Amino acid sequence: MTTEEKMEEFKGANLYSNVHKIDLPEFYTSGHRTCQGCESALVMRDFIKAAGPRTVVTGATGCMYVANTSYMTTPWVVPWMHTQLGGGGSSAVGMAAGLRALMRKGKIPKENINVINFSGDLGGGDMGIGGVSMALQTDYNLLVIMYDNESAANTDIQATNMTPWGAQTTFSPTGTKERIMHKRWKKNVAAMLAVGHPNCKYVATACATFPPMDYMNKVKKALSIGGPTFIHTLDPCPKGWDYHPRYSGDLGQLAVKTGVFPLYEIVRGEVRYTYDAAAKKRVPVREYLEKQGRFSHFKEEDYDFFQQRVDEMWEEWEVPGIAPIRGALKLRK
Amino acid sequence: MTTEAVLKDVYESEELLTGTDAVAQAVRLADVDVFSAYPIRPYTGVMDRLAKFIADGKFDAEYIIADGEHSQFEIAKHASSVGARAFAGSSGTGWLYATEALAATATDRLPVLALVGNRALDDPGAFGVEHNDAMLVRDLGWLIVWASTAQEALDTTLIGYRVAEDPKVRMPCAVAMDGGYLTHSQHMVKIPTKEAVKRFLPPYDLGKRRLHPDNPISIAPQVNEDWGMEIRRQNWEAAKRAVGVIRKAYDEFESIFHAGYPNPFFEEFMTSDADTIIVGMGTVSAAAKTAVRQMRKKGDKVGYIKLRWFRPFPSEELRKALSRASHLGVIDRDFAHGGPDDAGVLFTDISSALYRAKSRPPVIDFIAGLAGREVSIEDVIAMFRKVEKAEEADVVNWVRVREKSNRGSQGNSSGGKSD
Amino acid sequence: MTTVEAPLKNVDVDEEPIKRFEVNYRGIFQKTLAYRITKDLVYIAHSDGKTAFSNGRYSDDPQRNGVPCANFAFFSDGLSEEELEAIASAKMDIDRADIVAVLDDTMVKGLEPWGHYGIRPINEKVVPGGTLLVISRRPPEDLVQFLEKKPFTYNLAILPGEASFAGLWYYRDDNTDVRVLGAVARISPEIISLDKAIAYVRKTYKNDEKVKALEDAYNSTKLSVVSANDGIVWPHRKPVLPAWNEFDEGIVVKAAPREFKMGPRGLGRNLDYKRGTSKTQRPVVRFDICTKCTLCWYECPDECFDPTPDGLYDVNYEYCTGCGRCAEVCPVNECIVMVDELNFKNDDSPWESFKKDPQSYTKMIEEKKGKGRMMPSHVTGKGESMSEVSKPVPFKVERGN
Repeated sequence: MTTEEKMEEFKGANLYSNVHKIDLPEFYTSGHRTCQGCESALVMRDFIKAAGPRTVVTGATGCMYVANTSYMTTPWVVPWMHTQLGGGGSSAVGMAAGLRALMRKGKIPKENINVINFSGDLGGGDMGIGGVSMALQTDYNLLVIMYDNESAANTDIQATNMTPWGAQTTFSPTGTKERIMHKRWKKNVAAMLAVGHPNCKYVATACATFPPMDYMNKVKKALSIGGPTFIHTLDPCPKGWDYHPRYSGDLGQLAVKTGVFPLYEIVRGEVRYTYDAAAKKRVPVREYLEKQGRFSHFKEEDYDFFQQRVDEMWEEWEVPGIAPIRGALKLRK
Repeated sequence: MTTEAVLKDVYESEELLTGTDAVAQAVRLADVDVFSAYPIRPYTGVMDRLAKFIADGKFDAEYIIADGEHSQFEIAKHASSVGARAFAGSSGTGWLYATEALAATATDRLPVLALVGNRALDDPGAFGVEHNDAMLVRDLGWLIVWASTAQEALDTTLIGYRVAEDPKVRMPCAVAMDGGYLTHSQHMVKIPTKEAVKRFLPPYDLGKRRLHPDNPISIAPQVNEDWGMEIRRQNWEAAKRAVGVIRKAYDEFESIFHAGYPNPFFEEFMTSDADTIIVGMGTVSAAAKTAVRQMRKKGDKVGYIKLRWFRPFPSEELRKALSRASHLGVIDRDFAHGGPDDAGVLFTDISSALYRAKSRPPVIDFIAGLAGREVSIEDVIAMFRKVEKAEEADVVNWVRVREKSNRGSQGNSSGGKSD
Repeated sequence: MTTVEAPLKNVDVDEEPIKRFEVNYRGIFQKTLAYRITKDLVYIAHSDGKTAFSNGRYSDDPQRNGVPCANFAFFSDGLSEEELEAIASAKMDIDRADIVAVLDDTMVKGLEPWGHYGIRPINEKVVPGGTLLVISRRPPEDLVQFLEKKPFTYNLAILPGEASFAGLWYYRDDNTDVRVLGAVARISPEIISLDKAIAYVRKTYKNDEKVKALEDAYNSTKLSVVSANDGIVWPHRKPVLPAWNEFDEGIVVKAAPREFKMGPRGLGRNLDYKRGTSKTQRPVVRFDICTKCTLCWYECPDECFDPTPDGLYDVNYEYCTGCGRCAEVCPVNECIVMVDELNFKNDDSPWESFKKDPQSYTKMIEEKKGKGRMMPSHVTGKGESMSEVSKPVPFKVERGN
């Protein structure tokens, strides 16, 4: 597909063509109890900017629930409601179903109202994955955004299944006997959901600020394509990853450029890399890892192991960075 | 107009329905907008019936098959938040699987209505009735009402929506019924016309709490100790206001449907001059009322109270009705291991209400019908005999539990009677 | 204000047989430090036969980078643990303290730990004759100009030093913990004595350097008395907490205002929770050399940049948390630089001030910036590098017109 064809494909989505064209009003506004430099706050700000004010939002329990809404105040300009930690997908289905029924029965005016849920990695990828899966099986227009800061950051940094191998959390502290306590490799949520849900036309991964506008345009595409959709964002977290808040953008970029976090979208089953870490020369993972206090206990062998797993993902997987299946083509021959 | 003519006007037909079918009819008549389903015996029948309504074009609603009860109730809660009338339901451990969502629905003050087909909790897996499932949300801010006939199930569902959605209340409502008995046995039920139901049940309107782009609000932000207590205080007030709203709802239901519920909170059967009264909930009432009839023929001054509304608990009304008797018994189709006096849940609540009565008759408890075991007329008669000598009896009495093996008396598989 | 050798004693009211200590710190990166301080104080008091315990303010959790937090420690000479707990800590927060310690001097501008709390004075809880202890390089006059005027006299103790930001997993031990102990021993021997403190630190850390740091802090802590007339009339209001029946049922809060127009303060913001008290540094903008690339606005996670009609981006410092992302992403050398928050007295629009008089605005901010430039390392606990600029980037005349 040429660039023109791709733009044509999402013509109704009003994609941003350059940063100066981004809408100026905010629908998630100043005055939230997020950390200095919080990337997830940008994930909030940008999805609602891309979606616009005719939107209803639920936020599952997690950092972006507790941080954002400190009672009697709110930074949300659009209607927003809390949902339970594992309630992300089902809350979106509930709202979408309610609105559709009320419109069909003439109880409220017919219009296109975006329905968006955001859940963290613990809510969306662990506890709530059943509900997200159910949501992606429906025919409602809805978007679930899993903002992934790679830990249960709201309870002061515990490991989830999205925590990268080796990272320190309070559930996986380094110790005198076990240097590496977290021995699970990060769960591949977006690709798993894309593969398993025939009704879902759009799944993407994103990093809020890199490449610029990429995330906002993915939100616009997800909302315009119709049906249930899913976006997984990687959110550098100065608190849990232990780095100076100034460098959130830097770390997001490095996660992508090292190939640690693959950036792609899967549109009606077609994979499109939005940053092709297989084709481009990848930055060594060490440059990303050593900038974070959570990996400050790493030794050479740990960096090597990490690099090897990332190389494998890009060089040996049948669908690089997405599907960890090897040798399918060989078998066919 | 004669009563008969009025009834012709408000009822469209009479059909043979199970309790769950009757609730499905009420859900259709209430013009529910969203319902979410997940299978578990014995409540599932309501969803089967509703799905068929949809398939046949008899009912216009969004129907979602959820991935579990937690999602089922999250869906209902959030549909309710955007202004849609929502319905869900469950049984036993399924209801407990949804508990987190149930708690939040109550504190969000969203008037979702749920059917609880009462079922014993695992383990061991069992399908029979026990009331513990519904009772486990008794402190969370749910309205809980027991139906004991199919007609009552239909009526109570309509009344439940009306009470739950009242702006003075706005609490979720659980309509409970005995699994295996009411959920599955079929009885003739009068089905109201849509027009009549419309007159009784106004459209659901969440007012300025409705989540919609035209009404930008944030619902349920995080609170600290500066706020939590005041919010609980508000909810307490709503639960108290519910008592008056229930009374009014039954009055109007009566004026339209002539259904015969003189006392909304409980049915009093031959209690006006009774010395000995037993209180129970659910289908055990059929046996209990029959027992009272038989004993009355022999001159025993006995009466029975069938409690409907368990939350809000009608303390004042029960005090009035019970404190004039000389002996009281309570049938608990539930257990509360290690609770006060090791008695059941209902007994504890009734004892607590009676403590503030001027005259406090002696009261004893019967744990009966657990895991679906039947409670017979003879069982209830035996209970009355024991209640009459309540002063000498144990506080807690297990009914129809096998105290001896059935060796030598084969054929009686469900165990021996209590003495 | 007068400098004194020994602190003024609390003579008027507090006859309670307990001492309360509060330490104010910035969330996460000073968390470990703050916990070490209160923990050590309790151990030392305990070694002296006192009853003592400590706790953290529960509502601060989950902590956020930069957001002000507090820990407490309570001491008594004879009360039982239970009595001390009942008197001192029946509440989540405390309402007064004998010593209020501050680990980052920019917190003297006020504290707003969570929404609908208001910006509160740092000395709000100091009792008459009590002490505000601040780690700072500044003279007392500099700090007092930000403090709320109190109707009584109290002490201001300054422990010379920089705010210490260790990280979460990687902890940098720069001895700030024991230095605070030294200062407390100086201010209030009733809480801990110098001897007991030295003995404890020697035994616990087995490190002469730490003992020396403690003694040094004891000696170098500067004491002065703040009299009833010193300070300012507090400009921020304390929000009202309504009765249970005075706010909507159903846990419903009105959305943030939907407003936008070009120019300073043109965006509707959460009026009941600003975020300014989170910052240690603020971004200072040289509008004359800005290329209008939008990246500061695009990457700001607190929506603080207000687009202006001339294509520049004003900063709303009331909401800026001082994370430094704008300075990091700005492609123009010296255009956005992070500067110590205490160099600024107000949160006025810098763009308006620039438009009024571009040249004097630029001169003013260059003075505030000074020559030193601090660049934090990625891993917070690994410190920062310092550099110097020889002279400011020349004022670009075209933009000034």
